[in-house]
Amino acid sequence: MNKQILAFHDVSLIYHTVRGETTAAKNLTFSVGEGEFVAIIGPSGCGKTTLLSLAAGLLKPSAGEVESHGSFGYMLQKDELFPWRTIEKNIYLPLEIKRKNTAQNRAQARELAVKYGLGDFLQSYPPQLSGGMRQRAALIRTLASDPDILLLDEPFSALDYQTRLNVTSDVSGIIRGEGKTALLITHDISEAISLADRVLVLTKRPARVAFTHTMDFAQNDPLKRREAHGFSGWFEILWKELNE
Amino acid sequence: MKHTFSEEHARFLKKRRLRLCLIWSLRIGLLALLLGLWELVTACGWVDPFLMSSPSRIAKTIVTLYRENNLLYHVGVTLFETVVGFAIAVTLGCGIALLLWWSDTLRSVLEPYIVVLNALPKIALGPLIIIWCGTGSKAIIFMTVLVGIIVAILHMLSAFIATDKNKILLLRSMGARKTQILRKLVIPSSLAAFISMLKVAVGMAWIGSIMGEYIVSKAGLGYLIVYGGQVFKLDLVMSATFLLCALAAGMYFLVVLLEKILVKNAES
Ligand SMILES: Nc1ncnc2c1ncn2[C@@H]1O[C@H](COP(=O)(O)OP(=O)(O)OP(=O)(O)O)[C@@H](O)[C@H]1O
Ligand SMILES: [Mg+2]
Repeated sequence: MNKQILAFHDVSLIYHTVRGETTAAKNLTFSVGEGEFVAIIGPSGCGKTTLLSLAAGLLKPSAGEVESHGSFGYMLQKDELFPWRTIEKNIYLPLEIKRKNTAQNRAQARELAVKYGLGDFLQSYPPQLSGGMRQRAALIRTLASDPDILLLDEPFSALDYQTRLNVTSDVSGIIRGEGKTALLITHDISEAISLADRVLVLTKRPARVAFTHTMDFAQNDPLKRREAHGFSGWFEILWKELNE
Repeated sequence: MKHTFSEEHARFLKKRRLRLCLIWSLRIGLLALLLGLWELVTACGWVDPFLMSSPSRIAKTIVTLYRENNLLYHVGVTLFETVVGFAIAVTLGCGIALLLWWSDTLRSVLEPYIVVLNALPKIALGPLIIIWCGTGSKAIIFMTVLVGIIVAILHMLSAFIATDKNKILLLRSMGARKTQILRKLVIPSSLAAFISMLKVAVGMAWIGSIMGEYIVSKAGLGYLIVYGGQVFKLDLVMSATFLLCALAAGMYFLVVLLEKILVKNAES
């Protein structure tokens, strides 16, 4: 396997509130290799978002260690584009935050946007775009600061089914085209199978890795994978494991 | 940009314009009707113009005030107190709201104080203000600030706190510091709340300045109203009230104008 870019070693996380404490993750251990596309599925409320926050360093683990080599780009369920900024200005946001707002970096980000079909929309405002286009803009924004690893928290679940298939296919193409490492959270089994190199199945809360599977498809295009031979087989396996 | 519209769209636009004309005619008509009725009942002696005044008497009084009693001075005093009080209340209010947003501890500590200050009828502080600030414009401005500032603080604070948690998370994932979250997200997303706060604060400023003039009056429209009441000159009371309405409306429309400009800027 490639060099590890992100690794969880026996990570546990406990949330403390006045009402009590919730163990959201317990003895989580897994790793992601460079250039790999890993999908994580798990029952709702099991601690998936928590896992991403830990990976991004937004939360400190209660026990264990999160080891990471590289910078992150975070993409959320909703596009979270700022409505008072044009798409272009939205895409520059991470550059401004990271104080890398140079003409060269801006040009690179703009090139990326043009390359992936946002060229005509750069001067538009987010509400003028369709949901699918907005999610694509959100991905370009995530890529603008050239992160080493993408953390995707159910980025497609707010889209309707038709748009979702298309955007999933687009996003997969973009991520693979740019050779990025990605960690995708989803509770959609087909999405995980059609996108990932490897699928991790989490247990109910507190989250632990129950199963790991390497997807053995000849092609990476999500739409093609959905029609491929092994697809329904994987679906059955993961469905069973998820409901155990 | 020039568009060519379909016929149906042209009809739609025309209908809208007509409706707008209708609304404005009705508004102005209603005002004329009320003024006319008022003039009529007083002119015919159905009600005593000494108690009710009348539009023509108000107009006459205003002219006399202007010629003989330094009307512009009184208007200027009230306007000055209101505008300065408003500006201080809004600036200070926004500043304090920012501080409270910044520090959870400070917010928790000060919360009961703000609640009490909000509930307190500010006029109760009248005597204290006179003793502290004297009986000039200073006292009235102080009262105006007092009435407006709590509203400004509470309004802006709730807007700052309501900032989308996911957008904050997004910025934090980019490594944003708190000042960046403030500048890039919290302040721009509170623009609409800021404008609606201004609209409320304008009203509050007038309440504050007139209330102030009621308790410590030397000059101003509030002073004219109190004085007119004391010497039973209803014409004077009505005239000053009328001018007050006009000024308050004028200031409100300035805020609406500002809103238009800000919204337009935000869009380009
Ligand atoms: N800030 C917090 N404070 C206290 N408890 C929390 C907090 N965030 C999450 N939790 C709890 O931790 C558990 C895991 O939450 P998390 O959001 O990671 O789950 P999830 O798998 O992403 O859920 P979903 O499928 O709904 O997206 C949940 O039971 C949740 O109630
Ligand atoms: Mg979640």
